[in-house]
Amino acid sequence: MSTLVLDSASRWFGNVVAVNDVSLSIGPGVTGLLGPNGAGKTTLMAMMSGFLAPSAGHVTLDGKPVWRNTETYRQIGLVPERELSFGYLTGRQFVRANADLHRLPEAAAATERILEVVDMVEPAGRRLDTYSKGMRQRVKIAAALVHDPSVLLLDEPFNGVDPRQRMHLMDLLRRLGDEGRTVLFSSHILEEVERLARHIEVVVSGRHAASGDFGAIRRLMTDRPVQYAVQSSDNRTLASVLMAHESVRAVSLRGEHLDVQVGDLGSFAVDLPGLARQHDVTLFELSPSDESLESVFAYLVAR
Amino acid sequence: MNATIAKLALQALLGRRRFFLLLAFPVLLIGLVALVTALLDGEAAYEVLPNLGYPLVLPLVAILAASSVLGPEVDDGSIVYLLSKPVNRYGVAISKWVVALGATLVAGALPIFVAALITGDSTRATALFVGAVVAGTAYSALFLAISAVTRHAVIASLMFVLIWESLLGNLFSGIAWLSIGQWGLRIGHEISSALPDPANLGYAIVASLLVTVVGAWFAGDRLRSFSLTGDE
Amino acid sequence: MPEPSPGAGRPGVIHDLGYRHFDGLREGTPAIARTLFTTGLRHAYGLGRSGKSKVMPFLLLAMSVLPATIVVGVVVLTGLDELPVSYASYTNRTQLLVSLFAASQAPVLFSRDLRHRSIVLYLARPLAAPVFALVRWLSLTLAMFLFTAIPTVVLFAGAMLSGLDKSDQATAALKALALQALLAMMIAGVSGVISSVSLRRGFAVVGSVMALIVLTGIVTVMQNIAWFEGDNKAVSVGVGLLSPWSLYTGLANAWDAGIDTPVPVDGAWVPAYAIVAVLLVAACLLGLVARFRKVGSR
Repeated sequence: MSTLVLDSASRWFGNVVAVNDVSLSIGPGVTGLLGPNGAGKTTLMAMMSGFLAPSAGHVTLDGKPVWRNTETYRQIGLVPERELSFGYLTGRQFVRANADLHRLPEAAAATERILEVVDMVEPAGRRLDTYSKGMRQRVKIAAALVHDPSVLLLDEPFNGVDPRQRMHLMDLLRRLGDEGRTVLFSSHILEEVERLARHIEVVVSGRHAASGDFGAIRRLMTDRPVQYAVQSSDNRTLASVLMAHESVRAVSLRGEHLDVQVGDLGSFAVDLPGLARQHDVTLFELSPSDESLESVFAYLVAR
Repeated sequence: MNATIAKLALQALLGRRRFFLLLAFPVLLIGLVALVTALLDGEAAYEVLPNLGYPLVLPLVAILAASSVLGPEVDDGSIVYLLSKPVNRYGVAISKWVVALGATLVAGALPIFVAALITGDSTRATALFVGAVVAGTAYSALFLAISAVTRHAVIASLMFVLIWESLLGNLFSGIAWLSIGQWGLRIGHEISSALPDPANLGYAIVASLLVTVVGAWFAGDRLRSFSLTGDE
Repeated sequence: MPEPSPGAGRPGVIHDLGYRHFDGLREGTPAIARTLFTTGLRHAYGLGRSGKSKVMPFLLLAMSVLPATIVVGVVVLTGLDELPVSYASYTNRTQLLVSLFAASQAPVLFSRDLRHRSIVLYLARPLAAPVFALVRWLSLTLAMFLFTAIPTVVLFAGAMLSGLDKSDQATAALKALALQALLAMMIAGVSGVISSVSLRRGFAVVGSVMALIVLTGIVTVMQNIAWFEGDNKAVSVGVGLLSPWSLYTGLANAWDAGIDTPVPVDGAWVPAYAIVAVLLVAACLLGLVARFRKVGSR
């Protein structure tokens, strides 16, 4: 169990505050660090990986600071965004060099094993500068995993990777998260985070805007009503009934659907089936129409 | 001292186009001296070495070597792949320095020795070689330290060599006390008095040692605080 | 406030938010070239960029002008009747600084665009690769010319202040400026080609230093040895064809601009020097154009 904790961490460069009093804790499983470009994600990842000192506050892994502490790298695997400038090495040589630097007792075996995990055994004999972007990402991940770390940090891992490779990578990361490792990846693309991480940390303009399950975050936005789309046997009757209910803010008919804006989820959810049955209306479909990350994100950014 | 890092640094030095640039120096120097010896005589040819080979080619080779093993990786941040491991930072610096030193000695000091031998007087050749070894060692450590500090390491080091040591050194003899090249010559003077005697021997030895140790240590210290600062 | 996101299967709509095309007057290629030229010239001195990029060019410029002001001071105060160092010869003595300036600033103008592939963006505009390369070279040439001309002007001002013969000094100064123009073209060409081939700044600098300083050193040594030790006039003058600086000093010597070479350059060597200089510039320009075409089309 490895937990990365940021405690009121801030980082400024001259007059620019890149990270502003962020406190969060990353535990086992896959966590997505989400934010628009320039929000401070890379700065945060650099601080968490021990490559940038916080101007204020603390960044610790299991209680020990990560800055200027080379021993933490036994537990951390870092996949930076930077391109590899070791193009003249083959994939295998590069991963092997990483294994050697960790002084692994069985470097060769570990190298082969990790190449299998990322599915890069066959191209491992070619030079790195002949690889596609997705292959390079996988080699970088292999190099970061070769020493079996309990924490894996990936900075924008899906940048420039084609859809098929992206699926591979997502599967890999999901598996790693399920094994109990702490996996943190950053992205500014909502679909990626939505698909891979249930738990997200949102960073906007250097501030920690939200944290948790994105559905839960959405539910915390109580000043914006939740939208549901309902399909039933008699939309109009249902509409008039719902309009009378105290938790409903607005109702509108839209073709085959009935759009309902709800202020108080709890009572609505409990009362809806009863109301429908009372008025002989059959419900066919009930789905939230704005629980996607996109709308959550838009709310947060607009605040 | 980390063998893997040294191996990577060596591969970085050898596996690229810049290797040919590195090779060009010894080839040019030895070629020039051999040509002049063939056309005229050894004494005339020898003049090439203290005027061109020792004060210019040797430091240039050191600059090229030191900035090749550290510069590009620090510049584009890919040194983070080496630093995100539980390796001692001073070990990283020293491993890289050893490779740069080797390149400096092989492509800088050794050709000076060979060229000087071609011109005759082998005592003088040995003296110049010893001077070149000392100066090359101090140069490579100094330039490694500069590479760890600024991305304009090459130009800064060049300014030091060309302006401080060459231009001003020829104008003001007091600068001899602060010129790595002069320290090397002074130590070589012990072997052959064909070399000038610009400064105190003990001082030259201590100063060269000091610059070497401080340079390598400083590079390691900078690596300890290496920061990834986003997209710049 | 954002609209609720539509359910799946709804057709998308793009709203006209007022995006407008530019319908006004567009300037032509000459204007683009002119802007590129002035921007390149300013960047060579670090103007229009961060403070740190101004340090090197202005430091070198200051170091190159300082001795000139000292000379002027000496001449004015002691009332000498001619300048202790001629205009053309002064440039030769500061050749280290001039070469360093070229070595350090050529990458700014050439390596950056090619390295980060922003050249592809530039060439998507109505400015062809050859014109782009030429304009960059022109910027660097003018920057170099200014670097050598400013001390010359300072010396000339000093000569005028201390009342030396106007027409003599003016002729000498003009000769020097003409030669410096040729020198600037050569040096800009050589360092430009090297910087566009070796895209990492550090190695471009070392390459330029090799071509401009080390090579010059070798040629000087050979010239001296050939004449003083070998009594061979032809070789001494001939070897001078091999580096931009020796071409400069040779032509200055032939034109009586105040530089002494080991062997005076005369007779058939004079046109030879001139032709080689021009050929060097032409070859460098061809190289630049070829390089820009190649990188820009990938």
